[in-house]
Amino acid sequence: MNTNNQKYKQKVTRANTIAKMIISFGGYGVIASIILILLFLVYESMPLIFPADITKDQEISSNSNEKVLLTGIDRYQEVTYLLYENGGIKFFNLNENSLIYKDSLQLNDGEKIISVDKGKLGDELFSVGTNSGRIITAGAIMKPQYNRGGRVINASFKQDDQFGISDSSSNTIIKKITFSENEDGSRFWSWLANARLYIRIYDADEGETYNYDLTSFIGEEKVSNITLSYQAEKLMVGTEDGEIFWFDITDYEDVQLKDHWKVSAASITSLSFLIGDNSLIIGTEKGEVQNWFPVRSQENVFKFNKIHEFKSHSSKVVSILPSPRNRNFVTIDSKGGIKLNYSTTNATGLEIEPTDKKIQAASLSPKANGLILIDEDNNIGKYFVENDHPETNIQTLFGKVWYEGYEEPEFVWQSTGGSDEFESKLSLIPMIFGTLKGTFYAMLFSIPLAVLAAIYVSQFSTKKFAQVIKPTIEIMAALPSVVIGFLAGLYFSPLLEQHLMSVFLNMMLIPILFVVAVFVWRQIPETTRVRFPQGADLIFTLPFVIMAFVITAVISTPLELSMFDGSISQWMYEEMGVLYDQRNSFVVGFALGFAVIPIIFTISEDALSNVPKSLSSASFALGASKWQTVIRIILPAAAGGIFAAVMLGLGRAIGETMIVLMATGNTPIMDLSPFNGFRAMSASIAVEIPEAPVDGTLYRVLFLTALLLFVFTFAVNSIAAWIGDRLRKKYARF
Amino acid sequence: MVINIKGSVSSETKNEMANENIIIETKDLNFYYTPDKAALIDVNIQIPEKKVTAFIGPSGCGKSTLLRNFNRMNDLIPDIKVEGEILIEGQNIYDPSVRLEDLRKKVGMVFQKSNPFPMSIWENVAFGPKVNGESNISNLEEIVEASLVQADLWREVKDRLTDSALDLSGGQQQRLCIARALANKPDIILMDEPASALDPISTGKIEETIDELRGKYTVVIVTHNMQQAARVSDYTAFMMVGELVEFNDTNTLFTKPDKELTEEYITGRFG
Ligand SMILES: Nc1ncnc2c1ncn2[C@@H]1O[C@H](COP(=O)(O)OP(=O)(O)OP(=O)(O)O)[C@@H](O)[C@H]1O
Ligand SMILES: [Mg+2]
Repeated sequence: MNTNNQKYKQKVTRANTIAKMIISFGGYGVIASIILILLFLVYESMPLIFPADITKDQEISSNSNEKVLLTGIDRYQEVTYLLYENGGIKFFNLNENSLIYKDSLQLNDGEKIISVDKGKLGDELFSVGTNSGRIITAGAIMKPQYNRGGRVINASFKQDDQFGISDSSSNTIIKKITFSENEDGSRFWSWLANARLYIRIYDADEGETYNYDLTSFIGEEKVSNITLSYQAEKLMVGTEDGEIFWFDITDYEDVQLKDHWKVSAASITSLSFLIGDNSLIIGTEKGEVQNWFPVRSQENVFKFNKIHEFKSHSSKVVSILPSPRNRNFVTIDSKGGIKLNYSTTNATGLEIEPTDKKIQAASLSPKANGLILIDEDNNIGKYFVENDHPETNIQTLFGKVWYEGYEEPEFVWQSTGGSDEFESKLSLIPMIFGTLKGTFYAMLFSIPLAVLAAIYVSQFSTKKFAQVIKPTIEIMAALPSVVIGFLAGLYFSPLLEQHLMSVFLNMMLIPILFVVAVFVWRQIPETTRVRFPQGADLIFTLPFVIMAFVITAVISTPLELSMFDGSISQWMYEEMGVLYDQRNSFVVGFALGFAVIPIIFTISEDALSNVPKSLSSASFALGASKWQTVIRIILPAAAGGIFAAVMLGLGRAIGETMIVLMATGNTPIMDLSPFNGFRAMSASIAVEIPEAPVDGTLYRVLFLTALLLFVFTFAVNSIAAWIGDRLRKKYARF
Repeated sequence: MVINIKGSVSSETKNEMANENIIIETKDLNFYYTPDKAALIDVNIQIPEKKVTAFIGPSGCGKSTLLRNFNRMNDLIPDIKVEGEILIEGQNIYDPSVRLEDLRKKVGMVFQKSNPFPMSIWENVAFGPKVNGESNISNLEEIVEASLVQADLWREVKDRLTDSALDLSGGQQQRLCIARALANKPDIILMDEPASALDPISTGKIEETIDELRGKYTVVIVTHNMQQAARVSDYTAFMMVGELVEFNDTNTLFTKPDKELTEEYITGRFG
């Protein structure tokens, strides 16, 4: 018996221990998984703000003393070529440190290359200008070939076309050249020879060639640098006095000087467009680096504006290498100092001086993840550039950014565009704004309704009514948000647009008539009133509400016709400049409110009902009326619970996805008007994540959005718990 | 045990109180929580003014029910039914011209379990006057102090009037509830076992307080404690199964009960 007892006790203890373990495992498991989710979100979004990094991969010698004018590298960073002053071109395999191909431009005796320019971004088509007035176009080709052994880069060289300058004597030196081949295959050359500026246009469609001498436009100024945009719509000319001339060459038959302005006191030593042909990067003798792009002015003409001034070099800027991928560019100065800049963010991600030698030629790899530098001793240095998310930093994610084509710095979200040149605009502010806006309208609609309903049901209504209404509202919570969103977006919003006038009228009439109803009800002597069954007051107001509907139905159309020219939304736009979107915040507020009301109602109602009867009894016993008791005793005592309810509703509204996705237009605009839409963080994640390349910038920004959402809801819930706790300690110690 | 109750209040009982002013009077009061079972049956009682009257009787006999009828607290319970008349100061309290709030202001109540509001001590006491329209601060200050003094609590709390009432001890809380009821300047104070949840010392204090109120207010107190009834009350009513068995001055009732049932109850033979 005794041992039995002991065994039983042991058994109980063991069961106890196991149960405790399982339960704690569950509890800690939940906490751990939340922390893990948080860590994962942080892990995925952190690389957005990692700084750029550059590491030396290898250095080989080209075994030549000939001056190098141009270099390039293939997309796999295996093969590089060097173009020498004497027209020779050599291809090296960087991994094997070997010369793999050798060729030469066909130059005359004593003819040397003076100037050279690549015609496309990420492509090794170039034109050279010689000291005997010839311009030759050629291409260095590095094509990957796949065979069983893996990948081999085949190098070849193709001389394309050439022309001599019409008035050339044999000693015409092509001092500067800029060359572009546009999408249509048309080619454009502009060059400086004998202190004169020329442009030659070969129209591939018509097979015609146009030649112009632009010297007269420039006047007295001395040209120091020229660049063509990649689509060859603009020719930019920099002078020794720091002035920029902008030629419009869209019309081949009429090349025009469009504008000119001063950008620096120093000579322009370097000029280049970035991808997209908008941003012009200017480097000067003093080492200044500036970014300019055209902005529409008030007179509706485009003028170049100085957008950013980057960190200065200590000596003159000799080369600008734009990235073929994004708005990154590398600037190189005459002492071999190198900076990696990002035009939109005005950030200089890297500043290095890899050698103490001067740099003769440099090139970014086609994927912008490698850099090749040829120093004055003809050493070929290859570098890895790690800069995965240059377009994001705290400033672009949360601040106003002046994007190309915009009139001023703005918060913009535009993650994908039509072309490779498109720059993602990833400001999170429009989405944070959208989430807050949606939440605001939802709460505006749901808090009064839900809390007042809770007060009514818990304090004033009959038991029977409460027994019907409570489960009904709880069922509302079970309605999938897809359904609510669907109804709101596809059914309710067109209906609302159609009957906007009636809705406005009802919104005015119902409260007014309701107040009238209450007033009339109060006119009935109290002694008579108390004889009615409980809930009669509610039924009494019903005819008045119906009256509001009837009045609306009758006067709405004539009123809209006579006062608002037949369409109130049109009228709002014309008279007040308020644009009416079909799927607007009004609809969302309503739909989201619908989702939030059950939460707020249920928890508030619980809180109100849980206020001990003894307190209300005490209040009544002191002669307080029902209303006084509710206001002075019940509400304060339930304040903690009501507050928690509201915050929980808020958390739900912030995180809600489907409703905002379906019931708004998802336009990331920042406008408080209830009549247009917005894009919420949650909806943005849902819409964009399927299209976001894994580990890309957009992908990570969406993770950051998720992290923010997490932090938002976490903060809301924590604040709810904290304040709710304090309120409960203060008012609800019973 | 089956108890057989014969007859109700004898005519002599009324004669004992011939020279008292009657403030509460019920006439053939029947009260139903549920239609099929009466909680009070034909109760006729006349409670004298400015005296302490105690209700005693076994649990469930309807003491609280009767008490709560005097300020119509039972109205909060749905589906109740009241038959007969309840007159306070000659006025039928169910008369449509009687405002419920005014009745309750006139007839204060102290509950079995102390139920101070989760507010400061001062706010608790000032609550009644405030909801009844007093907004002048100096008046309120005066009322609060006077009420706390009468409830014998002033000395203990005068330096901490802004503290939460919930920080007081159980006995202090109950005296605060008495002060809160007094602040309305009622004519009648109903107390439903006000000391049953308290220790003997606190109980003693409450009894002292009740003693102080004698002569100034009409106090009706429900108690299970016969000694307490004997100590504090001037008159005692003995109830059983919804009926008023005997009502007399306390001394007589405890020493020479009229009814056998009463005697059995007070001598502890049942209950
Ligand atoms: N709210 C109520 N609803 C239904 N029946 C009730 C209610 N309150 C009391 N009763 C019933 O009415 C009868 C009288 O109850 P009452 O509370 O008046 O008794 P009491 O004499 O005060 O008892 P006690 O000494 O235990 O407090 C009891 O049978 C009780 O069950
Ligand atoms: Mg009782």
